[in-house]
Amino acid sequence: MPKLIIDDITVEVAEGTTLLEAAQSVDIPIPHFCWHPALGRAGACRVCAVKLLDGPVKGIQMSCMLPAQEGMVVSTTDPEAVAMRRHVIEWLMINHPHDCPVCDEGGECQLQDYTIAGGHGIRRYSGKKRTHVNQYLGPYIEHEMNRCIQCYRCVRYYQEYAGGTDFGVMGSAGRVYFGRFQEGQLESPFSGNLVDICPTGVFTDKTARFRARYWDYDMAPSVCPGCSLGCNTTPVARYRELLKTVARRNDAVNGWFICDRGRFANSAVNAPLRPRHAVVDSRESCVEDALDTLLLRIHALGELHGPGSIAVVGSSRMAQEAAELLPQLALRIAAGALCYRTTRKESTETSSFVELVHTGSSASQQDVRKSDCIVVYGCDPLNEAPMMAMAIRQAWRSGATVYVIEHKITLPCEFTLRATLDDVPLAEAERPVIICNLSAETDQLDKLLEGHSRLKIAPLFPAANSFGTALLMREHGAISLEEALADGEIKGIISIEADIPAALLGKIPFVAALDWQATATVQAAQIVIPTTAWVEMNGSYINYEGRAQHFSKVMNPGVPVKGLDPAGHPPHIHRSTATGGEALPARQLLARLIKLLDDGNRGLS
Amino acid sequence: MKIFSDMTALMTGMWITWKHIFRRPVTIQYPEQRRQPYPRYRARIVLTRDPEGGERCVACQLCSAACPVDCISMQPAEGDGGRRYAEWFRINFARCIFCGLCAEACPTLAIQMTPDYEICTRDIMNLIYEKEDLLIDGCGKSADYNFYRHAGIAVTQPRGNGAEELPPVDVRGLMP
Amino acid sequence: MSYDPIDITLIGAKIALVFFVILTLAAYLVFAERKVLAWIQDRKGPNRVGPFGLLQPLADLIKLLTKEDFRPIGADKWLFYLAPAMAAIPAIMIFAVIPFGAPLTVFGHSVELQISDLNVGLLLFLALSSIAVYGVALGGWASNSKYALLGSIRGLAQLISYELSMGLSLVPVVMLARSFRLSDIVAAQSGCWFIVYQPLAFIIFLISIAAECKRIPFDLPEAEGELVAGFHTEYSGMRFGLFFVGEYINIIVLGGLAATFFLGGWHGPWLPPVIWFSGKVLAFAFLFIWMRGTLPRLRYDQLMHFGWKILTPLALVNILVTGWWLVLRG
Repeated sequence: MPKLIIDDITVEVAEGTTLLEAAQSVDIPIPHFCWHPALGRAGACRVCAVKLLDGPVKGIQMSCMLPAQEGMVVSTTDPEAVAMRRHVIEWLMINHPHDCPVCDEGGECQLQDYTIAGGHGIRRYSGKKRTHVNQYLGPYIEHEMNRCIQCYRCVRYYQEYAGGTDFGVMGSAGRVYFGRFQEGQLESPFSGNLVDICPTGVFTDKTARFRARYWDYDMAPSVCPGCSLGCNTTPVARYRELLKTVARRNDAVNGWFICDRGRFANSAVNAPLRPRHAVVDSRESCVEDALDTLLLRIHALGELHGPGSIAVVGSSRMAQEAAELLPQLALRIAAGALCYRTTRKESTETSSFVELVHTGSSASQQDVRKSDCIVVYGCDPLNEAPMMAMAIRQAWRSGATVYVIEHKITLPCEFTLRATLDDVPLAEAERPVIICNLSAETDQLDKLLEGHSRLKIAPLFPAANSFGTALLMREHGAISLEEALADGEIKGIISIEADIPAALLGKIPFVAALDWQATATVQAAQIVIPTTAWVEMNGSYINYEGRAQHFSKVMNPGVPVKGLDPAGHPPHIHRSTATGGEALPARQLLARLIKLLDDGNRGLS
Repeated sequence: MKIFSDMTALMTGMWITWKHIFRRPVTIQYPEQRRQPYPRYRARIVLTRDPEGGERCVACQLCSAACPVDCISMQPAEGDGGRRYAEWFRINFARCIFCGLCAEACPTLAIQMTPDYEICTRDIMNLIYEKEDLLIDGCGKSADYNFYRHAGIAVTQPRGNGAEELPPVDVRGLMP
Repeated sequence: MSYDPIDITLIGAKIALVFFVILTLAAYLVFAERKVLAWIQDRKGPNRVGPFGLLQPLADLIKLLTKEDFRPIGADKWLFYLAPAMAAIPAIMIFAVIPFGAPLTVFGHSVELQISDLNVGLLLFLALSSIAVYGVALGGWASNSKYALLGSIRGLAQLISYELSMGLSLVPVVMLARSFRLSDIVAAQSGCWFIVYQPLAFIIFLISIAAECKRIPFDLPEAEGELVAGFHTEYSGMRFGLFFVGEYINIIVLGGLAATFFLGGWHGPWLPPVIWFSGKVLAFAFLFIWMRGTLPRLRYDQLMHFGWKILTPLALVNILVTGWWLVLRG
């Protein structure tokens, strides 16, 4: 454990820690471009210069390249080091275009920040700037090579971290070029992270091109609803439009990155077809009236078909808070069935896996990254949960062996095929992990878990809150909608953010839907009440490993300002609520419904 | 004695104000007499055009960020040839304090202030100026400046042909 | 005292005349103050309403009368409504004892140009000016507002402190005139004005009445920069107008008293007595306006220090010296 002094603060760090990290551990910031916690060091940008005053090494050194050693005395504020960093910025700016006003990175640009911080304001170099021709990198990423400062972060991320092969570095010296070797789109399913990783504006989010500036963003910590991994994100909204999503660091879950599927999934929130008003029998209504009508219909249906003729149907994409209220509602209206799943298969599978997963047995993404033996069993991580494939690659990069049980898949790493689970030498591994999906045999896994105390499993559930709703299914004895409808007793369905297949809906005379997406269920429903999307409310999801994660409200619900007024600008009218902003979180709607029912019952008795 | 110096001070003050009673007032009787503002007077804000007639404003949001009273709002959009422009641009003159920070912040010299200070109106909604009210057909000050010529991106000229730019690098070339 | 109908009519007429003149004068004093302050500051002042802005007081009156009359939540209703009247009425009542001209002869009746020639006129003045303190105290307290309360507390302390020096500065006047009756005091100055015998008392009295009127540099109870508007912060419309007009009536009345006590009242050569009296009153009013245009506000501790440690002892010493002088002279 070397002990050193940085800016008069004594620091003790682990062997092999760089000076940069040692300084960061005591909150001393050192500017850096090429160094990144996930990518390590490259020594390419020279902006992390510090001066070593005493110890085994002396003079100006790159703090990201030098491991901390016993007895070092480091100054980050020494005039010589400051001058060095200032000059580095100045030469980085020699070729950097003066296009910050039309650059989407402006306001969240590391280069901009350090240029201002270093005090470089007036250009002294009188020569011309080198320029590059940009490439078309697909519909998601915008390329602007003129802005490049050759920190190599993109290529290190793309090739080493994410395992992409189509993008890299070309040219030499002052003509170094980062781009694709051939014409075409970026192939990696993790290419969106280039936007986050680039310290300046070479890669920007094309879907949010020219939309807003960092200081105007509506942002909040959130969780990706795309799959059951629960990667941490920061959605970015402006003028009631979800502009983009960026990765949020969580070392236990997704690390620093997210996949493209989670990143470029804003269209559902901004969709013009989203239900924005309550609808009763195809007529626009208000939330209060729709709730009252819903109560009347529930009552009428009960009169007509007797108790137990209504099913309350939730789904695995609803937030846990709303899911918790479904049994309460089912109890109040004496529902015939409480469902969280539509098909019998899905229902039984999730239930059995919930039994299997507990604190000792579930593998987080970090456990996968740190594992030394990974078994991919009957699932396709790259398609089902892309960030899991990324985690597998990190484990493989650190020397883990990856086994795939006879299955035709691709992974961003090398792997060995095995015929059955028994062929894998699990006993020899220190930290083995089995990655599977719900089609796996739980009995077999159970036996393995009992046999290997160090073994962990990572079952990939189909949706963001599959695990949380499965817990509730077990607690409240919920069945699948398929089973509930089998005997034909159910005459009405209250669907809360559920995607019910048309085949099941066909026979039901009364359907009420609470949803924020224009699903087939919403189209078929007599009563529609809009709910809020996950970015428009607070809530939580429980991911595949049983980790409950909170997500915060990013923006207010409502029709995006864009396109609201035919004049092309926001309307000249003062309103206290946004157009179409009456949507409420499903949990609030359910709570109101339950309260109305309670009040009604109290009134009757 | 302190009391005498204090008395003198009081009397001096009284004498000075007494003299001012008979001075000529400096008041300008506004509606009848009008002051000719200086050319750099900070009043009504306009959006200017570049020498080629294109909109100078690139909707970079720096003016709205600089504005201490948050009276500027806009929506950037991408136009022909990758040109960034304001889809809508609004200045709420009911809120504006004419401090000039927006004009100072503007990197493209698009937002400029004019000496026209007579914009009072009875209906406050008339003070919300949209882009069509703000955009003028002229360059204003710095008549020969075109941001895109110097920015280093290809909008008004092919890549690498702007001022202070070298032609694009051939990355597949073998020359050192 | 006779109860001749003509006497009663004459007294009624005098009261009406005095009321009219004082209220008009107070209104135009506001106008004059705005004009003079404007000139001092090289501005033009109100000049839009009527010729030279002469109808400005009328416009102000209409504005004040048509403004919303409101009472803050938690204010003491009756005291809140009583306070403005308490500020204005005692001020105007003092004028009852001021002789504003030489006696006239109308229809064979000798008419004193004074509403009531009380033998304790000076004491009545002191008593009434003490009552005026209640306007400030009640207005500030009843408003249920911290600014108003602070203003009224300051006002109370200030008015009580300076009343002392004001009263003491008048003792030599009484000693010289040997009467509390104001007409006697004026008569005693037919030869030589008391300002000649009593310059120190005059200065103390002048400073004290400036403080009594709450005029700059003694406007701490209102102190715009610190207390919004001090004790009348929460008043609007004509209730505020009463406070406002009360202040200017105070200027006229105290100016009249200063003239009566030290500048020989209506005495003066060549011109008619009423003109002399008015001229002296207006001169004092101008002096107050001029001071407002020149001097900054005192700090509270300076105000107290000045009142208690300088003015009051000086006034006492002045009484002593006057007494010795009178005894020595026989």
